[in-house]
Amino acid sequence: MRPTRAFRWVVLGLLGLYVLIPVAASVQFSLEAGYKGRLSLSAYSQALAEAGLGTSLLTSVKVAAGAAAITLVLLVPTVIFVNLRFPRWRAVLDAVSLLPLGVPAVVIVLGVLGAYKSLPSIITGTPVILALVYVILAMPYSYRAIDAGVRSIDMHTLVDAGRSMGAGWAKLFSRVLLPSLRSGILAAAFLTVALSLGEYAIASIMGFTTFPVWLVGVEGNNPYVAVALSISALAFTWLLLVVLALAGSGRRKRGTGFGAGLVGPEVEEEISPSLAAEEEAVA
Amino acid sequence: MTTTTMTTETSAKTTEHGPGPHSGGVAVELVDCRRTFGKVHALDGFSISIAPGELVALLGPSGCGKTTALRAVAGLERLDEGAVLVGGDDITDVPPHRRNLGMVFQAYSLFPNMNALENVGFALEVRRMPAEKRNKRAGELLELVGLSTMAERYPHELSGGQQQRVALARALCAEPRLLLLDEPLSALDAKVRAQLRDEIRRIQLEVGITTLFVTHDQEEALSMADRVGVMRAGHLEQLGPPAEVYTTPVTNFVAEFVGSVSRLQGEVVAPGTVDVMGSRLSIPASAGSGLATGTQVDVLVRPESIRIRPQVDGPAVVARAAFLGAVVRVVAALPNGVEVTSTLPASEGHTLPAGTRAGIELLGDVLFVVERSRPE
Repeated sequence: MRPTRAFRWVVLGLLGLYVLIPVAASVQFSLEAGYKGRLSLSAYSQALAEAGLGTSLLTSVKVAAGAAAITLVLLVPTVIFVNLRFPRWRAVLDAVSLLPLGVPAVVIVLGVLGAYKSLPSIITGTPVILALVYVILAMPYSYRAIDAGVRSIDMHTLVDAGRSMGAGWAKLFSRVLLPSLRSGILAAAFLTVALSLGEYAIASIMGFTTFPVWLVGVEGNNPYVAVALSISALAFTWLLLVVLALAGSGRRKRGTGFGAGLVGPEVEEEISPSLAAEEEAVA
Repeated sequence: MTTTTMTTETSAKTTEHGPGPHSGGVAVELVDCRRTFGKVHALDGFSISIAPGELVALLGPSGCGKTTALRAVAGLERLDEGAVLVGGDDITDVPPHRRNLGMVFQAYSLFPNMNALENVGFALEVRRMPAEKRNKRAGELLELVGLSTMAERYPHELSGGQQQRVALARALCAEPRLLLLDEPLSALDAKVRAQLRDEIRRIQLEVGITTLFVTHDQEEALSMADRVGVMRAGHLEQLGPPAEVYTTPVTNFVAEFVGSVSRLQGEVVAPGTVDVMGSRLSIPASAGSGLATGTQVDVLVRPESIRIRPQVDGPAVVARAAFLGAVVRVVAALPNGVEVTSTLPASEGHTLPAGTRAGIELLGDVLFVVERSRPE
């Protein structure tokens, strides 16, 4: 039986409340700052004055940007190549990408430190190693985003068409494949950045003062400031999501945005009856 | 039609016919091509010669190797053995992007991030032609396919037929030496398919480009091509003009695959003569006239060579009749269970509803004869 419209709204409303009530409570907590009934932005202004905010935030942003860049450089060509040439290996890649979900953070840290200990200290002794760990941690999500993008286009035919028209691989990548996969690539980058900005456990174990690690330190001294900073971080992440959605919707007009490729040309014809009329007119 | 000398002996029985009044293209040859995928021989000694400006259709069932042959010409499939020659140049080892060929695919292949004009001009962009010149040329090609008003549209804003027209314009834009069509109409509905079929042929004749066209649709192949090559199991069974392939098949497979046939039991009663249901019919020279007298044979007959008429004491019973517009296809069952198909004018067909007793008359043209103990 199909759920009624009212039932759907009730479910959506309950879900919304489940997400929004804690956020609203946090916002109220940060605005009251200990003075019940009186709202002020003092916790936010104090947060800006906290020592170490800039440094920790910069570290987090650098690590997140690095992790996103490494993810794209590693995963985009790999997923394209596997789908084009070794489709049977897709299942293996799929399984490997899920491994980080089942391995505890401590084990990953120990594994990474053990495996990369021979690398120069400029990698192992700096947040670069953290970016490498985040690449692995984000892989279950980033891989799926890119893979979904690749599957939403008929890549074999596009590559064959491009090759038959004289395009080499560099041209194909820059002019055809990357623009066609733009939404998947943006989604992968966003997910990696979001995970990197919010991760605490591994950064703490490895001794790097990223924004979440610094935030926990602040919380012990002034919980109002810590919550104000958490709300700010949440708003920043939401802003990233909005930017991504806007970028995606900008491309939707060109058929490569979110959901592009999920609807086949035949279906598109069905939802665009005017095209059929034009077809006959042209013929 | 002009006559063109083939430069290579092909494995199938062929007729040497040229491309017609146009001859602006280049000659294409595939010589003894072989390609296996595991245990499957996709191409098994496949050879063909195509004259300049000619449109040759490769026709065959799924898995016969026709697409592999086309992709081998495009360089998208490597050959285990054999050679591909275009304009006399051996391009077997030339990578696909250096072959200067145009190709239209079965699947919609327009680049989704480019509009129609950019798609058409892509091959020229690759060749670093200045944008102004490139757009002018792309505009001309869009005009050729009747879509000049849709230059700014993106693929998802075009119907399937329009997308394939743009794909055709794109394939022709860089003035390729050869046009390859890989079932470009199969995703379209019947009406658009018929329109586009005529349009592709018109454009091919206008441009004069040598064209290799792969299809499993015999109507498409017969109506568009200068010559039709019927493929089976990786090799060419027969290559010839459409009418010849239809009326004078050289193998049982070609007779049964191209058009429809009824298979009747008969006996060779004299050299070149077969007795079928009491009628004595002559066996065409191309269809097994060397069979010895007394040989039990299966006789293949086209529906238009069979006449089914109402007859109260007739030996057959009409099993079903299908109205097809101008004609009615009537299927009648003989006492031995064999079904005979005939196409009759609609005015005659309506007198033969299912269950009617009917007489069968053979009009004298046997298509092919095959010894009954030998199925092929």
